[in-house]
Amino acid sequence: MFKKNTAGVDTARVKERLEEHKTKMKLSLKACAHCTLCAESCFLYMARDKDPKYTPSYKFINSIGLLYKTKGNVDKVTLGEIRDNVWERCALCTRCYCPLGIDIPEMIALARSICREQGVYPQYDRE
Amino acid sequence: MVKSKRKPVEEIQNSIADFDKILTVGCGGCASVCLAGGQREVNALNAELGLLFKSEKKTKKLGSYTVERQCNMQFLVELDEKVKDYDCLVSMACGAGVQLMAERYPTLPVFPAVNTVSIGVDREIGMYEEKCRACGECVLAYTGGICPVTRCAKGVFNGPCGGTNRGKCEISQDIPCAWLDIFERLKGQNRLDDIMKLQAPMQWQNQVQRTTVQEPYARRYYK
Repeated sequence: MFKKNTAGVDTARVKERLEEHKTKMKLSLKACAHCTLCAESCFLYMARDKDPKYTPSYKFINSIGLLYKTKGNVDKVTLGEIRDNVWERCALCTRCYCPLGIDIPEMIALARSICREQGVYPQYDRE
Repeated sequence: MVKSKRKPVEEIQNSIADFDKILTVGCGGCASVCLAGGQREVNALNAELGLLFKSEKKTKKLGSYTVERQCNMQFLVELDEKVKDYDCLVSMACGAGVQLMAERYPTLPVFPAVNTVSIGVDREIGMYEEKCRACGECVLAYTGGICPVTRCAKGVFNGPCGGTNRGKCEISQDIPCAWLDIFERLKGQNRLDDIMKLQAPMQWQNQVQRTTVQEPYARRYYK
């Protein structure tokens, strides 16, 4: 088995952040029925020929969901993938709608905050 | 987007001189995109302030954090617990963000670390050009998509004025006449009738179009 190279990531701090928000985030992740009703409330999803990677649920499952799934044991590459989901594919316009009342922007914002703390965020003068 | 530029570090230092525990808060929105007040700039400012205070043999607690957007109360909530450990806040957001944060924490002094300059476009990395003054009376429909409020020194709605000279503005030979550009654009679209109708004037001041260049990029763009 390969051991994940978590060099450069303060996994203890990531775990701490995940623990702080555990109750609400886990409930939100569990509550998602994968109904995709949030999709059409996302202007990026609509503007990109309904690319499933722009579905709000895809974005939170593959960011904060992934962080919880891995229990915070993530490497820089994974954080980079999360960055693409929460910054490149999301403007955080807070217009996404969930019929079950999941606060999707809050989940995306937490994923961004954790990435930012680990030094992974958009470099607007390099990209 | 809103373009801003960081204040000189001495000005920021003066405003927080009387406080010992300072939290610098960045903004993940426009201020990040224009390289004035994102996480990276928060770290840089705190490093500079730390050195300055150290040289004066002053011990200060300098914290840093960046929220997604300071102009949205929803994203300020996460600061509620953090601010309890500090005497004052330094905001690296635009004027809107500073004011919203000051509104959320009315007992804490909030100091701005950037000057909000304009609503502009990205010309180059770190170089931004003003395009809109948010006057609330958009006339771009009849001016061919060129804003006379931003571009014309007098902000006239029925131009050009008598100061136009060989395509340049009377205030500077480096500034093109906005109304000549409007005329040429409309002529190309066969829409000159649009500027034949008289428009009610507005009273504006300081109508020089501004370009914001962030300090680290000044040498790249200024000779």
